[in-house]
Amino acid sequence: MKRRTLLTGLAAALAATPLTRLYAQQKATVRWWYHFDDPKATPDELVAAFEKANPGIKIQAENIPWGGGGDYDTRLYTSLIAGNGPDTAMVKFNNLARLMEMNALLPLDPWIDTWAGKADISDDLWRLHTAPDGKRYYMPLQYVILYLYVRLDLLAKQNLKAPANFDEFLSVAKAMTGGQQWGFGMRGGSGGHDSWMPFAFGTGAKPVKGGFVSSAALAQNRYFIDLYRTHKVCPPSAPTDAFLQVINNLKAGRVAMAVHHISTANDMAATFGDAITAVPVPRGPGGTGFATYGDGSNCVFSASKNPEAAWKWISWLSEGPNNVIYNKAAGQMTVTKSGAANWTLHPKRFVDATVNSLPIAGVLPNLSQTADFTRVVWPQTTQKALLGQIEPDEMMKTFEKLFFG
Amino acid sequence: MRRAVTPWVFLAPALVATAVLVLLPVLNTLWLSLHQVILFRPRSRPFVGLENYAKALTDPVFWEALNHSLVWVVCAVALQFSFGFMAALLLNRTFAWRGIARALIVVPWALPSVIIGLIWTWMLDFNLGVLNHIGVRLGLLSASVPWLAQTGTAMASVILAVMWQGIPFFAVTLLAGLQAIPVELYEVASIDGAGVWSKFRHITLPGLATVIATALLLRMIWVANSLDLILVMTGGGPGTATQTLPLYAFLTAWSGGNYGQGSALAVMLTILLLGVVITYVWRSRER
Amino acid sequence: MKRARLTLLLGTEIPILAFLAFAILPWFWMMLSSIRPERDLTRSPIVLWPETLTLINFIELLQRTSFALNLRDSLIVAVGAVSLGLTLALPAAYAFSRFRFRGRQVLRTQFLVINMFPVVMIILPLFVLMRGLGLLDTYFALIGGHATFTLPFAIWLLTGYFEGIPVELDQAAMVDGATRLQALWLVVFPLAMPGVIAVGLYLFITSWNEYLFALMLAGRNVRTVTVALQLFIGEHQIQWGLLMAGGTLVSLPATVLFLFAQRRLVGGLTGGAVKG
Repeated sequence: MKRRTLLTGLAAALAATPLTRLYAQQKATVRWWYHFDDPKATPDELVAAFEKANPGIKIQAENIPWGGGGDYDTRLYTSLIAGNGPDTAMVKFNNLARLMEMNALLPLDPWIDTWAGKADISDDLWRLHTAPDGKRYYMPLQYVILYLYVRLDLLAKQNLKAPANFDEFLSVAKAMTGGQQWGFGMRGGSGGHDSWMPFAFGTGAKPVKGGFVSSAALAQNRYFIDLYRTHKVCPPSAPTDAFLQVINNLKAGRVAMAVHHISTANDMAATFGDAITAVPVPRGPGGTGFATYGDGSNCVFSASKNPEAAWKWISWLSEGPNNVIYNKAAGQMTVTKSGAANWTLHPKRFVDATVNSLPIAGVLPNLSQTADFTRVVWPQTTQKALLGQIEPDEMMKTFEKLFFG
Repeated sequence: MRRAVTPWVFLAPALVATAVLVLLPVLNTLWLSLHQVILFRPRSRPFVGLENYAKALTDPVFWEALNHSLVWVVCAVALQFSFGFMAALLLNRTFAWRGIARALIVVPWALPSVIIGLIWTWMLDFNLGVLNHIGVRLGLLSASVPWLAQTGTAMASVILAVMWQGIPFFAVTLLAGLQAIPVELYEVASIDGAGVWSKFRHITLPGLATVIATALLLRMIWVANSLDLILVMTGGGPGTATQTLPLYAFLTAWSGGNYGQGSALAVMLTILLLGVVITYVWRSRER
Repeated sequence: MKRARLTLLLGTEIPILAFLAFAILPWFWMMLSSIRPERDLTRSPIVLWPETLTLINFIELLQRTSFALNLRDSLIVAVGAVSLGLTLALPAAYAFSRFRFRGRQVLRTQFLVINMFPVVMIILPLFVLMRGLGLLDTYFALIGGHATFTLPFAIWLLTGYFEGIPVELDQAAMVDGATRLQALWLVVFPLAMPGVIAVGLYLFITSWNEYLFALMLAGRNVRTVTVALQLFIGEHQIQWGLLMAGGTLVSLPATVLFLFAQRRLVGGLTGGAVKG
């Protein structure tokens, strides 16, 4: 700790020389870290437009490799700890609890409340973006909601319609399984927790204290594991199938249904045309359901030298027309109501499936263990359950213990 | 006076660079392993002595990871060495297209781990992998195998990938070593009527002994510490079937946030490797 | 066929072809997928030989991403690492192989020991250190980092090769008036050239493929190919075509380098030296 403070102090002293201070007063530089899925896309257009409208601010946008989330987070935490962090960065709910514990974030409420674009973002989204302590540290930037892709043409061969509840889902999956085809492309590998939650919490259980081991959650989780072990409606590779495998299997026609979201919609439409559609995830009795909300937000770091300028940038990005341009580059959904009204980036049926899932959108608990859950604990535990090394109920007990002790 | 100083003058640049860039951070991490360090709680760092180490020794996942590390290191290095040695011997001979052959053998080594991991994962894919496809077509497999999704075959798969990556290292290193063996020795032996195997045993092996031992030692350390390939291919899975010790340390520190515990695990790995190194140095002393 | 030719074919060339097939086929499969339409990759059952070829991946890679610049950055770092690494390692290996001094074994072992620590665990203090030295995001951070961390291996390997060169040769040179340094440069270094090449290749490849330092200690002004490749793996998408094209290109420099360097891997250099 001492050495670090000494080095940080040394660096600070060097930075505080008269020359650098003078330059800093001329323009406020905002360092913003982001990650785009498409390396050919750049935010340059947006940066140029913003700088034109705000001549006193310079944006230094840096594209950080995602690396499954691990690399981005490693870089972020290391930089923040070493006192070299950016002014603002794209962050996910995963990081919220840890960043709060590090006191790394500035609450944005005073700015949000006087922001013109506040009403253009739905109350649902603001609710999701509020931290456990009631404050708002995260600025909505983009989102996806997980839905179910369905190969209508394959289902039509057996006069089946897209499943609306879990019973229908199982019978459709069974009917679609045979030969070199399986009904459901389960994702047991990294990132699979997102497509598991609609099952585990689909009949009313909630990911809160006691929720993981409630009877509803236990039953639904057994249902999920049985899809692979008992009913065998998933390819044998499911335990370690991750994004690439699931999407490729869907595109290759090896599976008839898979859970994903709108960022692959254009790819699917290009491959299958009208033969593929998306529907909200299956519901439980009484209309209960859980559609995983995939967040993407900006924040302002407390160590930033230019918090005002940083806020200007991230709020600008979340304004109607700018947010539309941004999400064109990012390939996800705009967070603004005005932008969503005339959304042409994806075919309508996929947008509908997304928007119709908003009422049942849910997220994991915002605790410091969440990042570890998504990256390591969920895949390792679920894989063991899928391979029969532990009982499904054991799996849920492990999760309950991890989050709530 | 000058004689005593000269080796140190020769060693100084390397020593200084290592002391600053390697020793300091390692000591820092060693120090951290004696504290409870949570990555996202930078203010609280209580000293806990050897508690992290004690926890590791009673942690079943630690022993499992150690077991996997043993299998990983022994199999990977043995396979890399055997095939690399064969390749070196072959590439030492004279034939028309030797230059190209030598250059091409390097290709697996010249690729970053992320690419190697992605290619092998894809080739071994259950649904769309070319190896399953060809295996079934040639009748070697009765059906497609989910290589990375089964506990038994996952470790074999990552070992296959790292073997592919590591053969060129031995091929090149041993090939260079073969150049130092005087050709005359072979010629004389031929005149004396020695056969291929006899020449190998009495000329090649002794001549290469030091290089072989060094290359094996270095490669063993590298393989023991490496986690890139496993991270990309399986992430330690399915379950924890391919989780080796350095991977466990890495995930404990950076995913779990328990940096002190992760550091302790890394130190324990280093101590184990140290045991092997000291044994080697001790035995080579006696020579 | 003449008997000698047949022996060469069966005993040498065919086994080598087998080895090369094993080494190259995965690379070949990657290269093939970089020049075929991406739709091909999700056809079931899979189609081995492409019906159409396309260069779109390479065009997009080089024109619409910063990959060409990243190749340049990687080259600068790797060449720098090899130069610096050899400059530090050659004298050190000479010292270990030619001198018998107190603490020799301990020092040699210590070199290795500190490198036995998994690098991922020291990246945090290393980052702080580099930041304190003002070296973040510079070529030197990576060159220095790569050279230093490959040093123990390079020194051990070089020492092994040096020990194969008789000390009498040094002594002969010094009798003729050469200093220690001249003995190293004029006598030992040329004779150990195969070893130097092997170590040089090792240094180049290790630096070229290195990811962690490139990610953490640099990234904006200095961005190597390993970091650039990782950018093709996004949160919700994987740019498979670009990855395959990038992977194909990335493997070429080291291979081409060794194609030229391996010419110096010729045996028998020490053979007549002692007698003469």
